[in-house]
Amino acid sequence: MSRRSVREESLDFEVQDHLDRLVAENVEAGMTPQAARLAASRTFGRTLIAKEDARAVWGRLWIERLGQDLRYGVRMLVRNPGFAAIAVLSIGIGVGVNAAIFSFADGILMRPLAVPDRASLVTIGSTSGLSNLGSALTASYPEYEEIRDRTRSFDGIAAWNEIPVGWAASHDQTPRVRYGMTVSGNFFDVLRLPPALGRSFRPEEDRVPDRDAVVVLAHRTWTIGFGSDPSVVGRTVWLNGREFTVIGVANQQFTGIGLSGAEFFVPMVMQGALGITGQPRTTRSLRNLAMKARLREGVSLSEARAELATVGANIAREHPEIRENRALSVRTELQNRIQQDLVDAVLVAMLAVLSLSVLLVACANVAGLLTSRAPARAREIAMRLSIGASRTRVVRQLVTESLLIASLGGLVGLGLGALGAQLFNRIQVPVDQLVNLHFEMDRRTVAVSFIITVLSAVLFGLGPAVRAARTSLTAVMKARDADRVGRLRRWTQGALVIGQVALAVLLLVVAMATYRGYGRELASGPGFRTDRLLLTSIDTSLSGYDIAKSTTFYTALMDRVRSLPGVRSATLASGMPMGFSFDGAPVFPEGYVPANGEAADGIGNARVDEMYFATMGIPIVEGRAFRVDDDTEAPRVAVINERMAKHFWPGRSAVGARFRLATADGPWVEVIGVAKNSKYVWLTEPPLDFLYLPLRQRWRARLMLITEGPDSGSLAAPVRDAVHALDPAMPIGGVRTMEEYFQMRVVGLGSVMLQVIGSMGVMALGLAIVGLYGLVAYAASRRTREIGIRMAIGADRGSVVRLVLRQGLTLAMIGLVIGLPIGLAAQRLLSGVFPAQQQFDLLPLAIVVPLLLGVTFVASYLPARHAAHVDALRALNAE
Amino acid sequence: MSSERSSGRIDLLQGTLDMLILRTLVFGPAHGHAIARAIEQGSDAVLRIEHGSLYPALHRLVKQGLIVGNDGPSENNRHAKFYSLTARGRLRLTEESSKWERLAEAIARIMRPAEREGRS
Repeated sequence: MSRRSVREESLDFEVQDHLDRLVAENVEAGMTPQAARLAASRTFGRTLIAKEDARAVWGRLWIERLGQDLRYGVRMLVRNPGFAAIAVLSIGIGVGVNAAIFSFADGILMRPLAVPDRASLVTIGSTSGLSNLGSALTASYPEYEEIRDRTRSFDGIAAWNEIPVGWAASHDQTPRVRYGMTVSGNFFDVLRLPPALGRSFRPEEDRVPDRDAVVVLAHRTWTIGFGSDPSVVGRTVWLNGREFTVIGVANQQFTGIGLSGAEFFVPMVMQGALGITGQPRTTRSLRNLAMKARLREGVSLSEARAELATVGANIAREHPEIRENRALSVRTELQNRIQQDLVDAVLVAMLAVLSLSVLLVACANVAGLLTSRAPARAREIAMRLSIGASRTRVVRQLVTESLLIASLGGLVGLGLGALGAQLFNRIQVPVDQLVNLHFEMDRRTVAVSFIITVLSAVLFGLGPAVRAARTSLTAVMKARDADRVGRLRRWTQGALVIGQVALAVLLLVVAMATYRGYGRELASGPGFRTDRLLLTSIDTSLSGYDIAKSTTFYTALMDRVRSLPGVRSATLASGMPMGFSFDGAPVFPEGYVPANGEAADGIGNARVDEMYFATMGIPIVEGRAFRVDDDTEAPRVAVINERMAKHFWPGRSAVGARFRLATADGPWVEVIGVAKNSKYVWLTEPPLDFLYLPLRQRWRARLMLITEGPDSGSLAAPVRDAVHALDPAMPIGGVRTMEEYFQMRVVGLGSVMLQVIGSMGVMALGLAIVGLYGLVAYAASRRTREIGIRMAIGADRGSVVRLVLRQGLTLAMIGLVIGLPIGLAAQRLLSGVFPAQQQFDLLPLAIVVPLLLGVTFVASYLPARHAAHVDALRALNAE
Repeated sequence: MSSERSSGRIDLLQGTLDMLILRTLVFGPAHGHAIARAIEQGSDAVLRIEHGSLYPALHRLVKQGLIVGNDGPSENNRHAKFYSLTARGRLRLTEESSKWERLAEAIARIMRPAEREGRS
């Protein structure tokens, strides 16, 4: 208060005194009092601003000075609307693309779990061998108990398992397939999620198998399924036909772990009651659990890792019958998400590299613009320096300007990012399970955009600002003659444009190669029929069937379905191509010596019936398909794909060959046929080994019913009726036509990715062209005098045009020469992703190179023509 | 930043004002209005200052210890603040003057060739 306000008062006094004197003077000179006052205030200037300036001198309110700088910056931008628009738009594109890609990365990979104190929550478990597509950390129930009881690094370890159930809210309702979790009793305590309603599990509810049939509803299930009815606690719901009592509603912020959403939670000891077979509580090799643990305070991740390694080694010693090379490990949430889904991580990394390239191009653009404005500014700055402005003041002014441009660009970027997030939201996952996949401009994305904005301001503004700060009077004085500074500046600008062109070439080649590769994969098809098919998924275990009852049910069902009008053929399979799961088991072929370092990796397999290949349109190229009599009475047989045949039996027929399945001393299986390769996981996967096993030799409860007919969509109702005629309470899931499924799973996602990558390429090209145009036009205008002289002494317009054109084309050529090899290298990397592509695809180059040269020509020709139409006399007088 | 007006009067450059204030106070203490008038009249009314801009400069100089301000009654008993040079201020003035001469010469060198080119 005190000192400041005393000064303020004295300032008012002085100013008032000064004004009074001016008024008095004017009155003496014969003005009316009113005119005198007006004239006085004109002479004095704006009183208020005078006071503000005086305050700044006191060194207190630097914010006011920032305001001044901002006002000055805004004036500068308003005076140069073209510059402002291009700079703001460039940064907007750069920030927007990165915001969109971050929202994608966040949604698919990086968004943290919605639990309190998430930094101390880690994932533990042992890794499985299937490493190419990523590996999850898992454990069996006996392992979970041992790890939980023997480790000291954690405050608690929770385990869970995702399961589907047939869910009915009332006794007579037809059950619907819903996905939830069986969890250890401490699950919500370890995650530190208090229930929204009712209570969580008690410790004793996780002790005795099949005793405590209690369920906690997910918040979403409560609001949507029960209309947020608070009296839901105590009600009964039916899971797989068994009564469960609702004891609570889970925390609202918790929707599941990772991408998979959970609709309910039941104690893990109830697995048996829910029809989960195979004695999960005692079978050490059944690793169907995932674990989250709370790090004890003061324990580091590496300490926990060391303890887990010891515990794991002890457990392995105690159980020599488990001859697997598995090691216990601990991961942070992000590490876990990346390791678990390497394919997504690679995709995200690729998109991030591309989007950062766009940002670099955008920043180079603005840096180039600032550099070309530097001569004009240098004189202004030199003047300000020479008459007493401090260097820091000048730098602060320039930095404020850069931040202003970047902030406006950042705002544009947020809008663009929101559009991108919307585009990503068109990605659909065709599963019955709830999927926590949504992309939005949330607080995290906005924060990242802000960081990118500031980063871009540093990238494009720092160079020019530092150079401006070094400006010395003599340099500016000499600039006109020696032009050393000018040459350096032109070199910098040239380098910026070359870099822009090179990056644009890279982005365009990648975009083209992706487009071509994907298009070729789509055109050559997935290797199975995608039309005329109806998919239905049935899981008899959800109705409490055992395998014998399931077999009877499915046999009867197929008789009914095959005789339905409009059905040409129908088949049952344990999994379908590009479904989200197929089984995997190692294969040990007779007489095959694994190549050096080749592990007995799991090979994907599916259990299918005798109509599978005919219905799916997968040709058998050698041997035969399955027959009805390939059943439990008959020898074990398999159909393998071409790649597997070539892999293990190169140069000879695989039909008649034998292999052991699952373990090195497992049963012999004879190859009876070779099927054509198709896609199994994803459209652009590399060729994979795959094998088919006859369903009749080992039935499953959970099967996909695939029906073929001319009008597949209209088969949905009759197929449903056929199922319900056999068992009205049988839950049915995943009813879709194959066309719809393929569209969602493959075409939709692919086209979103293509649009994203393609628009990044186009944006980079646009930015590079603007940069090039700006530089050529600027250089031409700097040479106006020279052009005038040339024309005055007889040069024709053509030669002037060539002179200016040459500069732009030279820069573009250098950019091309640098960008093409990088683009080709990137294309080679991409051809690993798109196997149908021959090693070198020349078409992208054949399009990118002329396109780039064409737009370069236009971007250089416009300023060149402008220069050639300069009036020689005016040009000479211009300066 | 400096712009010539049709009246032939020139806006005063920031920074230059400090020196002119010091110069004016060589002749003895003065209050704000008197300083402004002295600068304008001393330059035959070529230099035009916004009187308001005087006060930031005065406060800056006080803060740098080059001048001091004292309250005192002026003619016809108004309340006014009189500024006077300190020893440091005097020293600074001599430094600034020689620097200014070099600067003026430098600016003149920059401007002159431009005029010649413009006419050629």
